[in-house]
Formats: sequence, structure tokens, C-alpha cells
Amino acid sequence: MSELENPLNALSEALTAAVEKAGAATLLVDARRRFPASGIAYAPNMVLTADHVVEREEDIMVILPNGSELIASLVGRDPSSDLALLRLPSSLAAQAEIAPGEARLGQLVLALGRPSAEGIQASLGVVSAIGGPVRTGRGGLLERYLRTDATPYPGFSGGPLVDTTGRVVGVNTSGLARGASLTIPASLAWQVASTLAKHGHIRRGFIGVRSQPVALPVAQQKALGREQPSGLLLVSVEEGSPAEKGGLLVGDIIVALAGKPVTDPDELLAALTGDVVGQPTPFEILRGGKPLQVSITIGERRA
Amino acid sequence: MNRLLELTDDAISEIVARIRRSVVVVENGRSGAGAGVIWRPGGYIVTNYHVITSGNGRPASTARLTLASERRLPARLIAVEPEIDLALLKAQDSLDDPNRFGDLSPALIADSRALKVGQIVLAVGHPWGQRGYVTAGIISSLGTAITHDSHRSIPIIRSDVILAPGNSGGPLVNVVGGVIGVNTLVVGGDLGVAIPSHLVEAFVTQAIGERTRVTA
Repeated sequence: MSELENPLNALSEALTAAVEKAGAATLLVDARRRFPASGIAYAPNMVLTADHVVEREEDIMVILPNGSELIASLVGRDPSSDLALLRLPSSLAAQAEIAPGEARLGQLVLALGRPSAEGIQASLGVVSAIGGPVRTGRGGLLERYLRTDATPYPGFSGGPLVDTTGRVVGVNTSGLARGASLTIPASLAWQVASTLAKHGHIRRGFIGVRSQPVALPVAQQKALGREQPSGLLLVSVEEGSPAEKGGLLVGDIIVALAGKPVTDPDELLAALTGDVVGQPTPFEILRGGKPLQVSITIGERRA
Repeated sequence: MNRLLELTDDAISEIVARIRRSVVVVENGRSGAGAGVIWRPGGYIVTNYHVITSGNGRPASTARLTLASERRLPARLIAVEPEIDLALLKAQDSLDDPNRFGDLSPALIADSRALKVGQIVLAVGHPWGQRGYVTAGIISSLGTAITHDSHRSIPIIRSDVILAPGNSGGPLVNVVGGVIGVNTLVVGGDLGVAIPSHLVEAFVTQAIGERTRVTA
């Protein structure tokens, strides 16, 4: 095996191949006054980038790896996850490939960017942390995030974090954590991008309650038929709200939404995002210690 | 998998052991020191121009070297190229054979015209006076820098390797131990910049050629 004869050389060549592959789908996005940032070829004519680097909605310039310059239009943006989707007038030669599965702690990764027409830029590191949910500096909630020790060079926002075969593990941005670099996991970013492509914005729902987490006694967990340490006690229900219309009462404890357990307010917030908005959705609650199903049509929050 | 990492470590150790023999400490009497690479047989050593400049901003005509063998030698300044921060020194051995002790053997010089972003590189130098310090990373970009005086555009190598004062003049090597560049902190203005070895090679060739003509 030649890889065992010269493993360092083999590793080095694998890294350059990964840079070459992912670099072909890493573009320059020029939509702010300071130096340009980066973007990812998400679909044949779509570019995923960081929302905070799109400072103007017109005259957005995208430069391809071959040097051609295209004027892009804004499809939609989601400030709370700091992602924006752009549309190009023509098709891209290469598209990014998403890595299957979740990132692993310690996994070797490359951060890529193309903030200059001089060529692709890269840095090497590992996945240093996997966390979330976390409230972002921009008022949103990020279900999961990654951190890496790969150097985030200026203009790397909107560029990909890739694995050793050049597949996208996440989207790098300095716009969510007060300038510190953070990586939005690829599965999450692709989900946001697909919603932006469909609706132009991320639909965020509400039901009109105030709640606080409470511990569930063993007897109530038995009644639910599963181990669930906590639920959400409703301390108020807004008049005329989706919750009231659905029959929720102060004192009810929400324990699941659409079959997924809810144990704290952040989980409720995350569950109220996306395709469930506007749809009648089954809620599992505890009322007087007994499980009960109610259906609530989730309202859409207007920003 | 374990075997793979072990073999990778072995490969790195081998490269490091080899290149460290060709890296010297360069001092010019001021506080602080830089690094130098033994570039050609005959005791020709490349370092940064800023490593051999003295307080008045002019290059010192002599410098002191400490070889990997711990042997200390004086060196004479042969040529400078301030715009790309290069200087060429010649070790002054008291004997005719400058490589009598085998500690002035030149480094393997690689072609720096076929580099790729992402390739693994190692740097050796003396950051903060720590002798023969090794750092590793990848080439992060291949760009150009504009020189201060004549505004020439020259190719430079940027890497994510950690460099500090004292790495100046030291080598950046590839995975087979070939020198692809000379680290400097000056050109381009940011850390982690190396002058590609083909530019260094051209400078050395020109300098030694000129010198030959002058003495002939």
C-alpha cells in the first residue's frame, strides 16, 4: 500500500484534492463595502452565503472560480441563522456536495474561502466542539452548531467547512457569535436554504403562550409511557391565540409536539419553525396528571 | 488506522531531522536572532534582509552563525535583495573545506512553481529564541504581494502554520523535506508568509554569479 509507504504525502495529496473539489464550488460574494466574502454553490443556479455579508440587495456580484463575474439577485435571507440565498442568471459548473451524517468531534476539516480573485484559500483543523441549541446574537435560535480550530481568515464567512474528501460539513460565519467564528451544520443550512428557495424567508410559528420548564414526577412519566424528565408548564395563554383556539389552559404541561418530546422553551421554539407553520399540529399535554392530545393550528409570526 | 498515524509521525520525524541540519541561527549583534537556510554547498546561507539589518537600517557586513552542530562561525554578507527581504551570507570557516565537519550541508531545494493550496507544510525556525522549533499546517493561499519600493508584484506563499519572530529566514518545507520557501514577516505585511524558493534560487544564482565575475 503506497499510502502506508508515504502516508504524509498521501495525506497531503488528499487534502489538496479536497481543496480542489470543494474549491470549485466555493465562490466569491461581493455585496458589502468592505472586502468580499464567500459563498457555496448550493444548486445549479443558487449560491448559499452568510446573511451578514449581503449588505446590499442590488448589485450583488458573484465571481466564479474561473474568474467570470455574475450579477446575482437575492432569493431570501434568514438573519436569525445568518444565511442568505442568491440566484444566478446562469448555471454553475460545479455544485457543493453535502457530507452524509453528522460531524464528529476531532474529525479533520478544512475551512475554505474565496474572498479574493487570486484563488481559493484554506486552513486545516479539527471539529473542536458540537453544541446547541444556542440563542444567536441576532435574536434567533440555532438548533446545533460546530466550532473548529481551523483559522477563519477574513472573508471566510459564507464559505464551507469540508471533510477530507471535500464534502460540506457546515457553513462558516462570524456573524452569529459576536465576531467569533461558528459553523452552521450542513444539514441545518441546507434545510434553511431549501425553505428560502421555496418561500423566500423562514417561517417561524407561535402559539401564544408563556411557559416554564417543570420536572415531571415519576407517576406522570409512567402515565406518558416514557422517560421524560421535564415538560413545559403554561403560565399564561393569550386571548384569541392559536393555543386558546386549540383549547390549551393555564396549568397544562406541554410534553410533546408532533410526536417529538418538548422539555424546555428552546425546544418548543425550534419545533415551531418551518413546515409546521399554518398546519394543525398534534400537541401532547398533561392536564391534571393525565395525558391528553389536542390539535393546534400554528400561527405565523411576522417579524 | 493506528499504523497510518504512526507512519505519518515517522515521516514527519525524518523530514524534521533532515531539515534541522540545514537550519542555522543568524545574529548580527543586536538583540534577537533570526534563522537561515544552508542553500548551496560552500557555506552559502539564505536569511531575511531584516534579520541582518542593524539599528541604522543598513545591513551589517558580518553576522554570527550557530550551526545545528552548535559550532559557531562568522559569516560575511554577500548580497541583499531588500524588496523581497532576502540576504545571502557566506560562512567563514577557518579551513579551506567549509563542510569539513559535515555541518554545512545544504537543504534539499524544491520547485515552488507547482504548489497547491491544501498541501501539508512544515516550518523550522527559532521563535522567541527556541532553537529548531517545528510547526505544521497547510498552504492556505497562493497569492501575490506588491513590493514597497518598485511596486513589483511577486508571488508569495501563505500558510496556516504558526510563525513568530525568530522564524524569519527559516525554511518552509513540503512533505518530502524539500524547501519550498523562506519564511518572512515583512513582505505582504501579515504573518505566515513565505518567499517561494524559485525566487530565492534566482537571487542566489545571480548573487553568486556576480561575485564570481567581480573576483575573476
